[in-house]
Amino acid sequence: MRILIIEDDLEAAAAMSHGLTEAGYECVHAPDGEAGLTAAGKGGFDVMIVDRMMPKKNGVEVVETLRREGDQTPVLFLSALGEINDRVVGLRAGADDYLVKPYAFAELMARVDALSRRRETGAVATTLKVGELEMNLINRTVHRQGKEIDLQPREFQLLEFMMRHAGQSVTRTMLLEKVWEYHFDPQTNVIDVHISRLRSKIDKGFDRAMLQTVRGAGYRLDP
Amino acid sequence: MRLPRLIRSTPFRLTLLFLALFAAAASAFLGYIYIATAGEVNRRADADITREMESLEAAYRVGGVNALNQTIVERATGERPFLYLLLDKDGKRISGSIEESPIDDFTGPGPTWETFKLTETDIDGAEVKRAARGVQERLTGGEALFVGADVQESEGYVMKIVRALRGAGALVIILGLAGGVLISRNVSRSMQGLVDVVNAVRAGDLHARARVRGTRDEYDELAEGLNDMLDRIERLMGGLRHAGDAIAHDLRSPLTRLRARMEVALIDAENGKGDPMAALETALIDADGVLKTFNAVLAIARLQAAGEAPNQETFDASELASDMAELYEASCEDKGLDFKAEIVPALSIRGNREFIAQALANILDNAIKYTPEGGAVMLRARRTSSGELEFSVTDTGPGVPEADRARVVQRFVRLENSRSEPGAGLGLSLVQAVAASHGGRLELAEGPGEYGGFGPGLRVALLLPRVE
Repeated sequence: MRILIIEDDLEAAAAMSHGLTEAGYECVHAPDGEAGLTAAGKGGFDVMIVDRMMPKKNGVEVVETLRREGDQTPVLFLSALGEINDRVVGLRAGADDYLVKPYAFAELMARVDALSRRRETGAVATTLKVGELEMNLINRTVHRQGKEIDLQPREFQLLEFMMRHAGQSVTRTMLLEKVWEYHFDPQTNVIDVHISRLRSKIDKGFDRAMLQTVRGAGYRLDP
Repeated sequence: MRLPRLIRSTPFRLTLLFLALFAAAASAFLGYIYIATAGEVNRRADADITREMESLEAAYRVGGVNALNQTIVERATGERPFLYLLLDKDGKRISGSIEESPIDDFTGPGPTWETFKLTETDIDGAEVKRAARGVQERLTGGEALFVGADVQESEGYVMKIVRALRGAGALVIILGLAGGVLISRNVSRSMQGLVDVVNAVRAGDLHARARVRGTRDEYDELAEGLNDMLDRIERLMGGLRHAGDAIAHDLRSPLTRLRARMEVALIDAENGKGDPMAALETALIDADGVLKTFNAVLAIARLQAAGEAPNQETFDASELASDMAELYEASCEDKGLDFKAEIVPALSIRGNREFIAQALANILDNAIKYTPEGGAVMLRARRTSSGELEFSVTDTGPGVPEADRARVVQRFVRLENSRSEPGAGLGLSLVQAVAASHGGRLELAEGPGEYGGFGPGLRVALLLPRVE
């Protein structure tokens, strides 16, 4: 997996690069927007991490140029601008996800992971299958080892998201954003409670727990 | 000296331009008056002279030069105001009231008109020149006849008119100029007030305001607009400064704590004591806490500074309340709290959906945090009788004493009995900021009273203005 990091803060880029390399990604760094476009032009990247404010060409311009040229590589925007309006501008420019600085590395990792794997499940599927777990997206049923699991609508959405990102860490913020579509920062453990309910439904009575808690990051659904 | 500055001013230049146009119009007007009055006087004198000439010519036709001579002698000594002169073929004077003709061209075909000066001797023996006008004609016998009139009086009349018109012209220019100076001074002074304010603000005095004279004219309008703009700028500046101060102040202590903890961990690690990994983990948690506080303070400060929440849209508040109910119901059940939601369907609201969601989440967070097991939390969304949208959360926790209710919405204020709970004391301040930035308000009241041995509980209501 190759990642292109377009970021003018060299130290931040080095730290990011280091962490992602440790996680098994191959990283290429471009120090400004123009260099980023040149590097992106060579192709072969699975994810691009683009800083919003950069010299020469800013992040929005870079992403717009890429999309205009038909480059569909998933883009994660990084920005110190965290207002909702900024997110909207970023996503409209063609970015796939948005992360506000300062961020936890686990959060970045989880989002990069989610973006890098998303492309593989591009085809429109009617069923999802993760290990013993099977989800029918048409009649909205879930089975584990052939046994039907009764889920509330939101629990279904939550599990669907986890299944689409099976094997990856998914953070609480990502769940609130993607499942509930809210972008605020809950003070208490609201998301944890929903996860634990879901866990009790899909794991209780089975010999093995599929829904794992990842310390310091969030959750992961293992096959 | 104010004059050069005045001359440079736009109103004064405009005044000059209008004055020039006005002067041109006045000249045309005065010219017409001149022609209509002075011209008329001359025409009348000419007509009189012509008539006299005709009557003399009639006498000549009837009785020849002798009769004419006779008539002239009679008339010259009479009361008639005319001047006569009859010359023979050779230009020699036959008779008349003047000695020689003012018209040199004796042989001219005539009639020849001439305006001339008549030299007379007045009672005191002094020579006086009087204006006169006359016409000379050749008679059929070759004689020349001159008939004139003393027009000194009517000329004087014309001169008076001319003088009056000249005076009027001068008056037009003087009055116009004076009026122009006055008007442009007035306008310049109004402008100067605004210019002074702009300069003062540019020099750093954000309190400077333009004077509104209450005349409801465009200057007042401009002054009011300028003042509104300055109010807003001042509020924004104040808000930003306040935010900066708050962030600096509020983050200093957690950062100091974080630093101290890392320092201790470092010393411990050097001495081979303690677990560096554990220390790092704690530091990470601390750093996350600082970031959370930072984000909350920043969000509050930005909302307060902006005055109005950004990105407002119309959306379904009932749906939002249901989402929040669904999100928090699980937490309630998890903690052993009875949760209920009463949400009136299809409540429309205009505002920033994310901020309002965050505010509701904060209120629910608080309710769940402070309500002991076995208690109840209730979320309601409805429209009040005055049309406001009300989100309310009632809990059966210990409540907030009336004396403290105003205080708990301030940043970082935490009541003594809540110190053991996690949090920074920013939740309600953010709700308050969200309410204010939507033109709404936050109300704290006593909850349902005693409930299962607990209480009296708290009722937190977020009221947002009706959608227009």
